[in-house]
Amino acid sequence: MLEVLAIAFTVLLIILSAAYAQRFGIGKEILLAGTRALVQILILASIILILFEMPLFWSFLVLAAMAAIAGHTTYSRSGKLENGLPVAVISIACASLLLLIPFFLMGIFPLEARYIVPTGSILIGNAMNVSSLAIDRYKGELKNKRSEVEAYLALGAKPELAAAACLKQGILSALIPSIDNMKNLGIVWIPGVMTGMLLGGADPMEAASIQIAIFTSIFVAGMIASSLVLYYSTDSFFTNAAQLKEDLD
Amino acid sequence: MLLVMNHFHLEMKDVSKSVFRTINGTKVKTSILSGLDLRIKTGELITIMGASGSGKTTLIRLINRLSELDSGIIMLNGNDIKNLVPMELRRKIGMVFQVPVVFKGSVRNNLAFGIKLWGGNTVIETLSRDAGIPENLLDADAGQLSIGEKQRVCIARALANQPEILLLDEPTSSLDALSAQKIEKLLLGLQKERDLTIIWVTHEKEQVERIGGRRLVLRGERLEDFHA
Repeated sequence: MLEVLAIAFTVLLIILSAAYAQRFGIGKEILLAGTRALVQILILASIILILFEMPLFWSFLVLAAMAAIAGHTTYSRSGKLENGLPVAVISIACASLLLLIPFFLMGIFPLEARYIVPTGSILIGNAMNVSSLAIDRYKGELKNKRSEVEAYLALGAKPELAAAACLKQGILSALIPSIDNMKNLGIVWIPGVMTGMLLGGADPMEAASIQIAIFTSIFVAGMIASSLVLYYSTDSFFTNAAQLKEDLD
Repeated sequence: MLLVMNHFHLEMKDVSKSVFRTINGTKVKTSILSGLDLRIKTGELITIMGASGSGKTTLIRLINRLSELDSGIIMLNGNDIKNLVPMELRRKIGMVFQVPVVFKGSVRNNLAFGIKLWGGNTVIETLSRDAGIPENLLDADAGQLSIGEKQRVCIARALANQPEILLLDEPTSSLDALSAQKIEKLLLGLQKERDLTIIWVTHEKEQVERIGGRRLVLRGERLEDFHA
């Protein structure tokens, strides 16, 4: 009964917000995005339900598929850079896995699909968001600061050195929302995991401790993934003769 | 049999280059250099004039491989530049851009860039004196300097690499007349002192007359002798 009410409320909100947003010309887009989100989350719930009954191997396979889709999204955001797809997929997958493992090694969560899939997906999703923002900004910086990058190249600097300031700016810009969120955690908002646990009847201290562990892991995974994506994408912006490519659009 | 090696310092043979230009929102491939030849001896000063968009900047960017030629060959000391490591080529062929770009940090950090990158025994104080940068500016923030001072920093920064050739892409075009003439004097002094080969791109006829050297003009995608 609770599920039906929640879904009905969601559908109502999607319809009302789409109707309102129609005056800005984005009603259809909101309707589509909202419907997609609803269908996808219900499919995910069904998959998790099935995963509870299957060997753990399947949970990791689902996470691998999520990382592949996340990598593809970042790759598309980068303007489909040469070698960009494997770089994005591997970076997001490695960073997320690296931060996922300690939760189970330290015994914070039991090694069960119920914990592996949601925690992994939070890490992957955020690593994707940060990496997409970072690569988009990095590309923009290289384009806008062409004269500075070429001034470095003209002195004999390697592309990595010539692009270093742009790379730094790309990562910094992508991390600003996460840093701001971290600063205001618990003051202006109660994040999702804690909210969920509190609604589920958990002890507030336990919910807060797990939330902060997940929150910092999300931040670190995003930072590692975006650093890897940008670092290994640098060559794609330059030719073999260390020239900044002319067409960066 | 006596084999006479007749190497020029820099030689361009049958060089062609097209660029993409956006016309009415559409990218159109336009040929700007075609079958271009140029031979320069060590220590020679040449000036290249030409109308806006004639390809002057593109021409010198091909020499240090900031851009790639479509066909033809460019040789430095008889070696195809494509056989040289691009970074090493750019150390040997310095470039000063039209709009000076200084790096974040002090003037000293800017001048030390090439020395850190390539080593060498260049003394920053000597370099700054040669480039007409007052010693009290060495620790100033390079970003706060006037355009004329920034251009001096860029010239000194390029010279820190001890290049054989200096490419000058309208280095005084963003300066007032007085600063421009000071930079001209500085560059001509450095050229004589260091036996530098200089390729100086400009659009000012008066400047060409002041500078001297071999005068060329880029016209119809090729270089011709310029007669005032």
